[in-house]
Amino acid sequence: MKEKQLSVKSEKFIDDLRVYLFSSGKNDQEIKEITEELEGHLHEAEQNGKSIDQIIGASPKEYMMSISSEMKTDYRSWAKYVPLIIIGSMSFTIFGDLIQGTLSYSIFKIIGTLVYSILFFGGVMFAYRYVARNQVSRIMEFFILLLPIFLSMLIIGGVLFVDSIYKTPMIDFGIIGSWVIGLFLLCFIILFSVWAKTAILPVTLLALHLPTFLLSFTSFNVVTQLITSMVIAYVLIGLYLFYTVKKAKGNKEVIE
Amino acid sequence: MSQTQMMKGIIDGCLLAIIAKKECYGYEMAESLSRYGFDTISEGTIYPLLMRMQREGLVTSVLRNSTAGPKRKYYLLTNEGQQALSDFLSRWVQLEKCVNAVIKQEN
Repeated sequence: MKEKQLSVKSEKFIDDLRVYLFSSGKNDQEIKEITEELEGHLHEAEQNGKSIDQIIGASPKEYMMSISSEMKTDYRSWAKYVPLIIIGSMSFTIFGDLIQGTLSYSIFKIIGTLVYSILFFGGVMFAYRYVARNQVSRIMEFFILLLPIFLSMLIIGGVLFVDSIYKTPMIDFGIIGSWVIGLFLLCFIILFSVWAKTAILPVTLLALHLPTFLLSFTSFNVVTQLITSMVIAYVLIGLYLFYTVKKAKGNKEVIE
Repeated sequence: MSQTQMMKGIIDGCLLAIIAKKECYGYEMAESLSRYGFDTISEGTIYPLLMRMQREGLVTSVLRNSTAGPKRKYYLLTNEGQQALSDFLSRWVQLEKCVNAVIKQEN
């Protein structure tokens, strides 16, 4: 059956609400329920000639917050992205280094990478919350989302720079240790992809390794290669997360 | 601010009364409210209230097919909801009595 579509404004509000609730750490199922209910309401209201302003009031931001405050925060919906980002960004280094030999890292670099991964994830989620709540234009949205990606790149750049100047104790994993870690990571990635039913890890890994691999054939120096591949990788990951959140509208039956 | 709080408490009670009469979905409730004269509040206001009432166990919901469009979420009153409604009614009667008394005296 053909169904009349929601107005662009209502559609954007529902999308933004979904993103806002997701990035506020709300439960997936509850997000689905309330957005579907509101979508139904908006649909019926628009068919009866009402505008979205009569439904959500003057401030979409306040309305989103009032919905959000009635939902319990459930960071488990995030849980699948946290190890993903941490292991994803670590496997960038680890798989890359494995190709060249055994693993050996300074304590500073290990801690720096961990902190950076968490900041990257937190930053992206914060940016999503901000853009959704404030209903900014698509272009502004893009630039605001680039900000945490850019900042986190500065941080990892800083970590690598400081690491090259100040020597902290090295941890050498040896040949066996390196392969065990490599294998563990591989298993984790496979199991994780199956469990989370998402293609995000293969995408992440390709984003992380393909540019590096391809750039190794160029005549760029090592630092340029490193930075360029990292920029490409994180822009790709950021875009993929963006795509995933937008797709989270999932089983919506909108027929064009 | 406090006026909004008071309003919310009143709308809570009205929603309970509407649901008590017959199970209904959000849009119907919004329509009823506006028909009874609550036309200054935005329709969406009811959803955070319904979410809270559901969490507190005053109402439950069930998805039913609709003739047009997606499934609708119908709300029903629980025993606790019945109790909350009668509490609201007695508070309201009391409040109305007090306010009327004050107004009559002062005018």
